[in-house]
Amino acid sequence: MNAQSPYIPELATIIETFDETPDVKTFRVVLQDKAKMAAFRFEPGQVAQLSVFGTGESTFVICSPPTRMDYLQFSVMRVGELTHRLHTLKEGDPIGLRAPLGNHFPYQDMQGKDIVFVGGGLGLAPLRTLLLFMLDNRADYGNITLIYGGRTPEHLCFKDELAEWAARGDMRVELTVDNPGESWTGRTGVVPAVLTELGVRPENAVAVTCGPPIMIRFTLEALGKLGFTDEQIVTTLERRMKCGIGLCGRCNIGEKFVCVDGPVFTQAQLKGLPQEF
Amino acid sequence: MVERFLAEADLPAVAKAWAREYRVLAPVREGAAVVYRVFSADMHPFLGRPPSSSAKEALLPQTENLFSYKYRKDQTDLTRTEVFLSEPVPPEPTLILGPRPCDARGRHLLDRVFLERGVIDPQYTAHRAATLFVSVACTRMENTCFCHWTGGAMDDETGSDVLLHPVTGGFVARAVTLAGEKLLLSMGGALPEASASALAELAERKKNAPAPEPAPDLTGVAEAFLAKFEDLDFWTDQSARCLSCGVCTYLCPTCSCFNITDENSGMAGRRLRTWDTCMSALYSLEGSGHNPRPSRAHRLRNRVGHKFCYHPREFPEAATAPPLSPSGLEFSCTGCGRCIKSCPVAVDIRQIVLDVIEAAEKTPEQPGQPEKVEAK
Repeated sequence: MNAQSPYIPELATIIETFDETPDVKTFRVVLQDKAKMAAFRFEPGQVAQLSVFGTGESTFVICSPPTRMDYLQFSVMRVGELTHRLHTLKEGDPIGLRAPLGNHFPYQDMQGKDIVFVGGGLGLAPLRTLLLFMLDNRADYGNITLIYGGRTPEHLCFKDELAEWAARGDMRVELTVDNPGESWTGRTGVVPAVLTELGVRPENAVAVTCGPPIMIRFTLEALGKLGFTDEQIVTTLERRMKCGIGLCGRCNIGEKFVCVDGPVFTQAQLKGLPQEF
Repeated sequence: MVERFLAEADLPAVAKAWAREYRVLAPVREGAAVVYRVFSADMHPFLGRPPSSSAKEALLPQTENLFSYKYRKDQTDLTRTEVFLSEPVPPEPTLILGPRPCDARGRHLLDRVFLERGVIDPQYTAHRAATLFVSVACTRMENTCFCHWTGGAMDDETGSDVLLHPVTGGFVARAVTLAGEKLLLSMGGALPEASASALAELAERKKNAPAPEPAPDLTGVAEAFLAKFEDLDFWTDQSARCLSCGVCTYLCPTCSCFNITDENSGMAGRRLRTWDTCMSALYSLEGSGHNPRPSRAHRLRNRVGHKFCYHPREFPEAATAPPLSPSGLEFSCTGCGRCIKSCPVAVDIRQIVLDVIEAAEKTPEQPGQPEKVEAK
């Protein structure tokens, strides 16, 4: 964060961009000040405010892990004014970055446990940072399973990595799509159904989930039926944010602010809040 | 205690003297409203009625620059641009004349957000350090006033540097802080010692002031709010008239939510912070189209909840608090009544708070039943 003001971004440069899906683009950025880049620290699950000066700022999870600090990665869906503008940027363009913001996945508490990642669409972005962090510290964790779904094969993010992860041999990858099209040979169906079909066991396990609200809703139901307690389910929330430091007000759920008290919550924590999602 | 006399007739001259050292925000009549304007020599400050807006604009301007940016083309490769950022100019020393005790108390509640929540806001800090509050004590409560519900009073000194007590022909100016003392003493003969008769008049009025109607018991309001949280019918009913205009939040001395937007002109521009309102649907609308507070019922619930439930839960200890409300809680409300007075459809937050408490009492949680929680 800027020493003078938490509202003034650090300047960063885009070093690489590529398309993940028809509407998701990945950006790799580095801070322009090399010393600041070398000193930059964050935890898996923390977010950043990306600025396109003249258009504004929005919040995105840092989807690369803190174990790989050559660049910070962001995968951005084109939905609004800022993201449309971001998608027009190219390698070499300057942007602003305020980070790290928010809390992080409780990875310390997950050591020695089996980890079940359940993601949908671009919901895989925050899971990716934790998954890569765990793969880089593989011995600290038990079995790792990723259940990931998209609307179509084309809408799956991080496709090359999905294949790499499946080929590693030290984790399990289960992919599914709603609409298979012609060349898809894998599973068809929604993520919660796959979860149920695989009969994922809750003993000594933690489920980490992120995706569209409807997927989350049925995933929570499915995890409950499989015997997962609310303490064993971790998710990360989205909210409209402006300041990212708990002051501008809009991301509150009761007296908690998603930008500082979150975005990561256990299902048990969420149940203790006013139900306003 | 430094007590000086400020004659009503001398107000413009005194304001003029202050304006040599401060940007003086003074209340003046404009039509039916009393608004703060930067003082100029031709103005006569009007202290006869509470200003229509709160004093928060002195500490949290309606619009302020967070920083400026400038793009520059790289002259060796015109496809590339560089960007340069510059910090905003620091605020001028400011004196706001005419806030009421409810407004001055709002300063303390803004401190909670901008100084005590976690990240200290540097711009608020700078405004706070550069601003003096010369407030005016009230002599009567209007029918929209309820400062005593929240721990305030007509002559509460909390948050003021100087409090002006109206007496015949002018004011007894009583210093509250060291800065206020300096301000009064620096005026020398322009502000003579308050006379014994003026002080006697003040003491007499205080003695004879009728006690306000007793404040209701709000001890359980936070719990009552949570108990009624999921009763959307209740909130739909309460918000039936609401137009989402947001005037309640803009005039509130404690509402501090803000928006951040860029104002661009060619290759340069500014990032601005502006007041925002939780009563607007856009406030919480997400890029995906999802809105966690999609209706006026949700939004009114959030405003009431923040003031009477979330704030006291966030700051339960209130260690540096001025007098708390009679219920022992600190609310994010000073009872100024502006949201009631200026609401075009007469939404009354007092009535909502009382209705929440009454409705929660009518539908107590059944003992032995698990807490009702809806799946996400």
